[in-house]
Amino acid sequence: MEAYRQEIILGAVLVYMIFCVITGLWAMKRTKNSSDFFIASRGLGPIVVALALFSSTLSGFGFVGGPGLVYSIGVSSFWMVVISSTGYAVGFFLVAKRIRMIAEVRKCISLPDVVAARYSSEAVRFMMAITIVLGVMGYLATQILAMALVMQAILSGTAMFADIGLITCVVISSAVLIFYCVTGGIIASVYTDVVQGAIMIVAGLLILITAMSVFEGGMAEASAIILADDSEAIMPFGAAGIMASFGWFFVFGLGLAGQPHLITKMMMNKNISDNRSILPMSLFGYIIAALLWISIGVIMRAAVVSGTIDPLALPDDAASVFLSVFTNPLLAGVVFAGLFAAIMSTSDAFLNIGTAAIIHDIPKAIRGKSIENELMWARIVTVLLAILAASFALYSHFQDATLVAILGAFGWATFSASIFPVVAIGLNWKGATVTGAVTAIGSALIINFVVQLAGITLPYGISGGLVSFVTSLVLFIGVSLITKPPVLDDDLNTIMDI
Amino acid sequence: MRSKLIYLIFAISVLLAGFIIAICLADTVPNAGGVAHAVFAGMQAGGDGAARLEHIGFYAYACQVLLLALVVCLCALGISDRYLTREFLWYMAGSFVLSLIVWEQMYSGHQTFLETGTTGYFLGFPVATAWQVYGSWVGAIPLIIIYSFGFRKFIYTKEDEEKFNQLLAEQNKNKEQ
Repeated sequence: MEAYRQEIILGAVLVYMIFCVITGLWAMKRTKNSSDFFIASRGLGPIVVALALFSSTLSGFGFVGGPGLVYSIGVSSFWMVVISSTGYAVGFFLVAKRIRMIAEVRKCISLPDVVAARYSSEAVRFMMAITIVLGVMGYLATQILAMALVMQAILSGTAMFADIGLITCVVISSAVLIFYCVTGGIIASVYTDVVQGAIMIVAGLLILITAMSVFEGGMAEASAIILADDSEAIMPFGAAGIMASFGWFFVFGLGLAGQPHLITKMMMNKNISDNRSILPMSLFGYIIAALLWISIGVIMRAAVVSGTIDPLALPDDAASVFLSVFTNPLLAGVVFAGLFAAIMSTSDAFLNIGTAAIIHDIPKAIRGKSIENELMWARIVTVLLAILAASFALYSHFQDATLVAILGAFGWATFSASIFPVVAIGLNWKGATVTGAVTAIGSALIINFVVQLAGITLPYGISGGLVSFVTSLVLFIGVSLITKPPVLDDDLNTIMDI
Repeated sequence: MRSKLIYLIFAISVLLAGFIIAICLADTVPNAGGVAHAVFAGMQAGGDGAARLEHIGFYAYACQVLLLALVVCLCALGISDRYLTREFLWYMAGSFVLSLIVWEQMYSGHQTFLETGTTGYFLGFPVATAWQVYGSWVGAIPLIIIYSFGFRKFIYTKEDEEKFNQLLAEQNKNKEQ
């Protein structure tokens, strides 16, 4: 079986991609208007929403960058994972019920639709849509690049495709993604998410079992090896220190309720009461899948330190080297399919919200009405957005390697800082004002852009994301408190009292 | 009650901002955010853990306590005024205390290791790290339980459902007219 490792991995990935294409075709029959395309007409069951929610949270970053981060900075990066239970809880307490109610009452099909309804302001809608488009470009480019690099790594290991280029891999992987997103919209996206989520859970469990058996003494022996080399790396704050860890807890924990691709999914469930089962199911799936992040990272750092394997060329090689050295080909096939699943489930969510911002929200904010024949334009813009992101990813890879990284890092932090106060707090506090919302979004954009572009480094590993999040939170509440309280429409008043 | 809660959330956020500024202004320690590993390229090392906490330990500890308080305040903000009962607030207080215990065990476990240089292991990790890995996950479980099992009591009662359905019905009626 070992002799056919690459072929088995390739086969698993192929089966997965064919499944995505079939799902796209099936979902196309169920997509009749833009409401179907963007929010599945609020008709999804709890299991579908739960799996779609967690699989969109754990992107390719979780499968590739996560283990790489543990290899690089040790336990510091655990903070991005272990805050998930807190993050999901805050998201559901603050957002899930009211966003779903506003979406139904005001017939919203996107997040900017919801904030425009909440604040009765097209300015807030416009700023939210622009923030989403900027963040989506970075995120999407990162995901497409990751997908192509993984595909190249798999294909180049076979005799037939040994010399395959990165551009070809970008074209193949993007084509599958575009196909099912264009044909089936969010319906195809969430149903592929269900399978993607299931694959990730299986992959996470199997990898944990494999990782425990690498060292005779299991995970404790791996921890002891790291402790003997550099104790801080395996202690609770890791190599990056306490403030970097705190920043991740803040930005990834609270910030989860500010991620548009996640909270948009909270608008899609059929019944509001399904939220009580969606929360624990999503969290359970995430925790199991995230075991892969922690276990591969720890084992790879210990394996290199102990001399079991050679040092990695790049930290991001941690997952692929682990799979090729320590797992059997069948498991490697499942995990690589899981990796594609993780990348695609996040990419399709971003394509969807980015398209909604471009064809639905920006025109509505500028002209006061959305464009005609939204469904057709949604499909066209989905293709264009994916092509643009893919070109951007390639340009960055070959010309300026920092571009995608800057926008990728900009994405999560900006979403957290600008969307969390405006949506998560704004949906629950009647005193939130338009001026407060505009100030919060503006400050988050400015601080994140300046910190990223100027390469500002703060002491003790404090991140720009943390600074922008806290600033935006203070400004949002502070400015709202000193500006005139808004007069809410009756339906919104009722919803915010429920 | 919810309108008062926002002042508490604001106060916590301002305090957090103040502590972060204090940390930025504190005496710096070389490589406080990690240093390149002496042997392996691509790896970072933490170095002297005690030195890294020397000037900012109190502020960092306080930041985490404030963040945990912020989490429960935000969760309470999501609850309708009439369900912010004594019972609910007790549950929230219990959740806060549990997460505080996890944080204290994690921090003090790390301090003890820095002083003694020895540690026990629990389920694969040094004890302080085990508190982080397992404790942080478990620490928020009460919030999940309150949400899921208390859904019909605190989050979305039958009465709420009726009220919402009534709102939808009124809206549909107005459209038809």
